Amino acid sequence: MSDTVKIYIDDKAYDVPAGMNLVDAAKMAGNDIPVFCYHPKMEPVGMCRMCLVEMGSIQKDRASGEVLLDDKGNPQIRWFPKLQTACTTNVSDGLVIRTNTPQVDQARENVVEFLLTSHPLDCPICDKGGECPLQNLTMEHGPGSSRMVYSDKLKLDKHVPLGDLIFLDEERCIQCARCIRFQDEIAGDDVLAFHERGRSLQIITNSDPGFDSYFSGNTADICPVGALTTADFRFGARPWELTEVPSICPHDAAGSNISLSMRLDRDHGGRAIIKRVMPRQNENVNEIWISDKTRFGHHFTRDEHSRLLCPLVRRGGNFNETEWKTALEYAANELQLAGGSVAAIAGSGMSNEDLWELRQLVTGLGGERLGAWPPTHAGADLVAQVGVGQGTNLGDLGKGDAVLIVASDLEEEVPIWRLRIKQAHDRGALVVVMNGRPTRMDDFASTVIHYDYSKAAGAFDLLQKEHGDTARQLTGAKNLVVIAGAEGVDLAGSRALMQAAANFLIESGHVGKPNNGLMATFPGANGMGQYYLGFTPEATQDIIANPPKVLFIAQADLLFDDPAAVSWLKQVETIIQLTLFAEEPVPGVTAALPIQSFAERDGSFVNGERRVQRFYTAQGPIGQALPAWQVLNRLGVQLGLGRSKLSASILMNEIAQSIPAFAGITYKALAHVEPQFPLVGGDDVYYGGTAYRNKGGLGVQIPAAADNGGAVTKGKVEKPAAIKASGGQLLVVPATRLYNRERVFRSSELVHPRVPDAYVAMNAADARKLGIENGDMVSISAGGSTLKVRAHVNGAAPQGAVILPRHLSDTPAPLAITAGEVSKA
Amino acid sequence: MNVLRGFATTFKHILEEPVTIQYPEQSIEFQERYKGRHELHRYENGLEKCIGCALCAAACPADAIWVEAAENTDEVRFSPGERYAKTYEINMMRCIYCGYCEDACPTEAIVLGHEHRLSFTSRSEAIFTKDVLLVEAPEGTQATPQRVRPGTFDRSIPDMEDPL
Repeated sequence: MSDTVKIYIDDKAYDVPAGMNLVDAAKMAGNDIPVFCYHPKMEPVGMCRMCLVEMGSIQKDRASGEVLLDDKGNPQIRWFPKLQTACTTNVSDGLVIRTNTPQVDQARENVVEFLLTSHPLDCPICDKGGECPLQNLTMEHGPGSSRMVYSDKLKLDKHVPLGDLIFLDEERCIQCARCIRFQDEIAGDDVLAFHERGRSLQIITNSDPGFDSYFSGNTADICPVGALTTADFRFGARPWELTEVPSICPHDAAGSNISLSMRLDRDHGGRAIIKRVMPRQNENVNEIWISDKTRFGHHFTRDEHSRLLCPLVRRGGNFNETEWKTALEYAANELQLAGGSVAAIAGSGMSNEDLWELRQLVTGLGGERLGAWPPTHAGADLVAQVGVGQGTNLGDLGKGDAVLIVASDLEEEVPIWRLRIKQAHDRGALVVVMNGRPTRMDDFASTVIHYDYSKAAGAFDLLQKEHGDTARQLTGAKNLVVIAGAEGVDLAGSRALMQAAANFLIESGHVGKPNNGLMATFPGANGMGQYYLGFTPEATQDIIANPPKVLFIAQADLLFDDPAAVSWLKQVETIIQLTLFAEEPVPGVTAALPIQSFAERDGSFVNGERRVQRFYTAQGPIGQALPAWQVLNRLGVQLGLGRSKLSASILMNEIAQSIPAFAGITYKALAHVEPQFPLVGGDDVYYGGTAYRNKGGLGVQIPAAADNGGAVTKGKVEKPAAIKASGGQLLVVPATRLYNRERVFRSSELVHPRVPDAYVAMNAADARKLGIENGDMVSISAGGSTLKVRAHVNGAAPQGAVILPRHLSDTPAPLAITAGEVSKA
Repeated sequence: MNVLRGFATTFKHILEEPVTIQYPEQSIEFQERYKGRHELHRYENGLEKCIGCALCAAACPADAIWVEAAENTDEVRFSPGERYAKTYEINMMRCIYCGYCEDACPTEAIVLGHEHRLSFTSRSEAIFTKDVLLVEAPEGTQATPQRVRPGTFDRSIPDMEDPL
């Protein structure tokens, strides 16, 4: 009983956790105290005064601790002389509040009347209208009429762009500072501020470019009025017209739970399209936040101009549009002629069901090699061994715990992890960042270790030898999570790094427990799913070395990712491509088959924490595209390899029977939901914002081998030879940028101003030696490609290496670290 | 006796003016509040009153109205303020002429007019689009979209003298 206390709300007793915020406690007890500025994820500030309640405490005798009784035998209560703000109070034993007295009603009425003194009568055209805390609380607690003079309302600017993605309506703002506090406390990008005082007070952005944050869209969700709106959804629909479909972010390893707000649209042939992407609460994954790429990167799903609309086959020299029947017969014929020399390369956007059917088809034809794309990150098997334990929640990490981030620019690779680890750091967790260059994560690190890129694969040796104190702090931590990327290492180096990370965790006993273990920043949404279904980057390397007769390329943009792909693909006789986009066909491609995006069909992804999560059909199909699993299944039927299958859920049942990791996983189990705290997404949008309650399922975390007492042993670290640059060459280190020109992101035009022009970051000393100045065009020849990009000499690169972000220009940058020539163009 | 009483009624009415009219050559005068076909009205300057708020669609008990909104700019302006109706359609086969849309409209843009001669021969013809519903621009004004001086029409809801 020590951790709960008894409080009295409106004369009823409740047991609530000690020290909890009073608004949260009342909420759990079923009493909604209205708030504007308070948010359960942020520190209270008591600015809006909406949560005023009558408050008192039960009197006890100081000497004996006995409860003092009044004449009638009831406990004596000492009331505060005035109303108190509930949000700035933490519960303690014997706390008494009243929320239904005339004084409280009067206070609420007055606060609403005051907030409305200069709020415009905009509700009919306001994007928040219908899900607006101010609107709702005015209806519930407002005075009904105002004593203020209508013509005295301030007339302010209604269209202030705070950056390219968020617009501010100065009239609507009620100055609760939720957006400012979110950016500061939660995102760690302190780019918003109050300007001026009193009636002149306004929200401004103090960054250049404006509102420079990857999390800016969340401020529109938690804004209790329509002051902040997103450029994407602006006037897109009224909230009550939208149909919500649960889905999963297709962009990164976090697997953020999202809700797709769908509505029919005349401009898209009357099809239901995604009007906006909203967060869906999953406290273990993304809480109630999503990154701007998740929010604004959905336009490719409906982009009829770039999507492939019907099957294409090559006959003679021509590439012709055709029917599914013809295309499948044609592909089946080619596959039969291959005589078992069949392999597949699957991208990380393929769902588990797609991968399963691809595997069935390739193995059914006698092929063995299943390659994962991109072949940059190794060690998914180690994540399956010693990955973070079941029940892990990065939001639980705090004092005494530690996080090690190695070889990753976490903000650019998996922004939601970076947001959550920033908060873990604020709660007192030790955050150690190791990389060859400064990254944004350094701002939220307790210790930053910069190593030489040529030693990147041996980062853990370096940690233990040269930074013993830090290593001891990490091994001695209560809980330890290691997040490894693959920046500055090739595939062999990545394997060595992951093995060293796994060994480090096993040695210090930080495996097999919640909040302990290994995570990796696999690109795409389903990096772990690829592993579990047998697709590996090592197989991809083997395919590159010995190309098969027939190669499936499924949802992978080889030519844009890898400059070397052009040459080795020439050796493949027949390429069957499953693709979303009607891009220039891969040279030599025999058949290009249109597949559906994540929004058009059912499926599941496995995120970086091994959580299998399910997404649902939201959008009508584009053109003749089919789900990839269905295309592959039909091909299989054509080849006499199996029966026709009707739904993705049946495939999941098959996977569950065949692959031990998926044992017991069904679509029903993935759809299971439980109440989560804080309770968001109800009618009380004033409390948690407009994030949606999770109705689509929390997902099921696959246990790591080390979970449930499983024994894991250390493996041998096979460190590859260091990649060195010699003879005037420099190390070219490919890096990831969140906003880039990848095909899935290219249709999101509103984010284009934020996509950087192609550049390379150089060290000042190297630049001087080569006669290059900041802003010069330089030519980089490395890994079989030559790129012309602008040089940024800004301290972002260590001496001897240049940082070359991938996917920023149309020419592919090298897939992995390599030595290259840099010269002034 | 009863026969006489019957004829008395007949003769009484014989002298009255007939109530029937020769439609369509003749037509009766409508009551001001007669609820006929909808019209989308304009302001005196030719801008559309409709701001695309879709409250009419929300109020419609027959789900007959479809609105899609978009954003105005001063170069391409349809209505005052930021928002206008990009698509505005009423399915006349669903409409029950209850007038709730008119009640819900915050700008008095949609009004049930006096036009009652509605006929269509196909389902798609029964869907009245914005260009059908929108009234002509007043004489001497430009039809929408208009190009206007920046900052002139920055409020969607017209200023009200007496909000009560």
